[in-house]
Amino acid sequence: MSCAPANVIVIKPKTEYLSAAELIAQRHAEAETPHNGLKRTSIEGSAAEQEELKNAYANLRHRLSARRIERQAGRAIAVWRQDQQAVEVLRKDGKFESFGYSQQGKFYLEYYEALFLLELNRLQLEYCDMIVSVEQAYVLLLGEAASDKYNNYLVYSALSRAGYIVVKHQAACPAAQTTSTSLVTSEDCIWALLEEALGNKPVPAHIKASISYNATQARMAELKQQIISQTSASPDENRMESDLQSNFKFETRKRRAQSEPQEGTASKKANTSSKSLVDNLKAEASYAKFQQIFEKLDIVQLQSADYDSDKDARLRSFKISFDLHMHNDGFRRSAPKAPTFSVVILPPGEPFPTHNEILKCQRQQQLAEHTAPLLIISVSESKQIQAFIYYISC
Amino acid sequence: MEFTPHLKRKRSSCKEVLKLAPFPLRDDGQRYKGAFNGLCVEVVDAQHAPIRTLHDNGCYGKGSASRGGPVSGEADETLLLGLEEACLLGYYLGVLEIRDMLGNELSWQAYVQAALDYDRQFIYKLASYLYLKSKNWIIKSGIKFGGDFLIYKQGPRQYHASFLVLVQVSGDAMHTHYVAKNLKGVQRVAETSDKDVLILRLNQLNDDFDPALCTPASLQSLTIEETVIRRFNYTSFVQSKQKQ
Repeated sequence: MSCAPANVIVIKPKTEYLSAAELIAQRHAEAETPHNGLKRTSIEGSAAEQEELKNAYANLRHRLSARRIERQAGRAIAVWRQDQQAVEVLRKDGKFESFGYSQQGKFYLEYYEALFLLELNRLQLEYCDMIVSVEQAYVLLLGEAASDKYNNYLVYSALSRAGYIVVKHQAACPAAQTTSTSLVTSEDCIWALLEEALGNKPVPAHIKASISYNATQARMAELKQQIISQTSASPDENRMESDLQSNFKFETRKRRAQSEPQEGTASKKANTSSKSLVDNLKAEASYAKFQQIFEKLDIVQLQSADYDSDKDARLRSFKISFDLHMHNDGFRRSAPKAPTFSVVILPPGEPFPTHNEILKCQRQQQLAEHTAPLLIISVSESKQIQAFIYYISC
Repeated sequence: MEFTPHLKRKRSSCKEVLKLAPFPLRDDGQRYKGAFNGLCVEVVDAQHAPIRTLHDNGCYGKGSASRGGPVSGEADETLLLGLEEACLLGYYLGVLEIRDMLGNELSWQAYVQAALDYDRQFIYKLASYLYLKSKNWIIKSGIKFGGDFLIYKQGPRQYHASFLVLVQVSGDAMHTHYVAKNLKGVQRVAETSDKDVLILRLNQLNDDFDPALCTPASLQSLTIEETVIRRFNYTSFVQSKQKQ
């Protein structure tokens, strides 16, 4: 071998390289699905339709299998642990504050987080020492069998892209901060209530549990009503007295019983009297003028607040999947604050929750330290997502 | 989040409404005369009880030759009252006399029976109607928006409707109102004109409640739950928060 032939050796690389211009062109290739005509809703079964479908699938496959080019730098490295069905991060890159969880000194990602980072080219997932493709990652992380994982991922991805910090819902922990209740003044309650009304921040559990909370809430509602209706305080107070007696039986509700100190009956009022969503026209002048007739017609009443949703077996239970935080709220995983919203995912075909099902969900939520308004996110058959907020009388 | 209903004033609102009342009560004891024709209660115009006053004070009914109140000017125009409206005027306020097509006065019992023949859920709709009426809403039919009622502050001439009301009876466990397609559909329709969808669900406190045997007062064994479901634009919400 020492006497090599004098000819010129031509090296033929096994891989082809793209030119710089080709690289740039392929990096941001934009593709749109072709639109043809109106949306059709039923299958005809004709040959022409078969042909059209075949073409549509071929076109889709062609689009999806096109080569895409991304930078390789800035990727975290993670490995898929088949035995644990988990993604373990080996090397972090960039900010990971709102992702993952630690267990026994190792850092893991949830399946939806891993897939999301992978799609954003911030994660390189490896399995059996090979880099996993996006397509393979879908199978690995979401599983081959149909499950709600795909819906969860869709919602996670859409909300993250919209600009929320999406974290797994923090399950209820009944250990309330009983020690701090004595320190809460009525001033704290007023601020908490104002923040709830204006800034959409839920009242913290320790303030809710305080002695002055209910009294403050009642007083504020009363003042608000007075401002709206421009009436004097005296008739309101009389009404409060009578309400007080009729609502006295609601005292026995078990909610938050463990952390609730003994309190005066006056403070119970605002919390237990039923609240309608359409009462606002009672402040009109025409109502006061014909009050007797209006009261005569007041035959059908709102469902009372002591309705026990836990006992009704016909009610479905909805699981809270995610909590949403805002980026500029100073979210920190180590010291979680109350989320802005809690997300319930509604899979396609599932009817919307009813009044009592929402009530049940809210009451279960109230056992937790932090509560937030519920956001019902419906995933349609065509995988479009849409958010809804419920307002219920209670 | 605190709930505030949409109350949107109409631009071409006229000022003459101020002296009008929510109920067409009469001092002279005269009653309007209506005939139940199987679909609605038809009130004929009379010198001592003009149908115009019935419509002006609380917006009851619809002119048979007009879009809203009886304003066409035709001599034989009548006022058509919905079943719930007629029931309120006839048996709760006592300002309307309801007769059948043969001219016999209908008792409450006979009227309810006839109304139930037309609409199986009449009693529940009546209960919802009274519930909303007692809260000072002006109530019109919601059929043009695909619901049961439309409710207005002051009236359709002054305000846009604030809610599209759907009535649900507790009997059917999973009501069609909650099917995603239906709910989203009705929501879109309502949203284009700044309304909320209000679902009123009626529960029976005692199981032996029989719609056919109920009396004006026995409706109190029904209770109501209110639900408003609003679409929520999560993208614009987060963007508006970030700007702050």
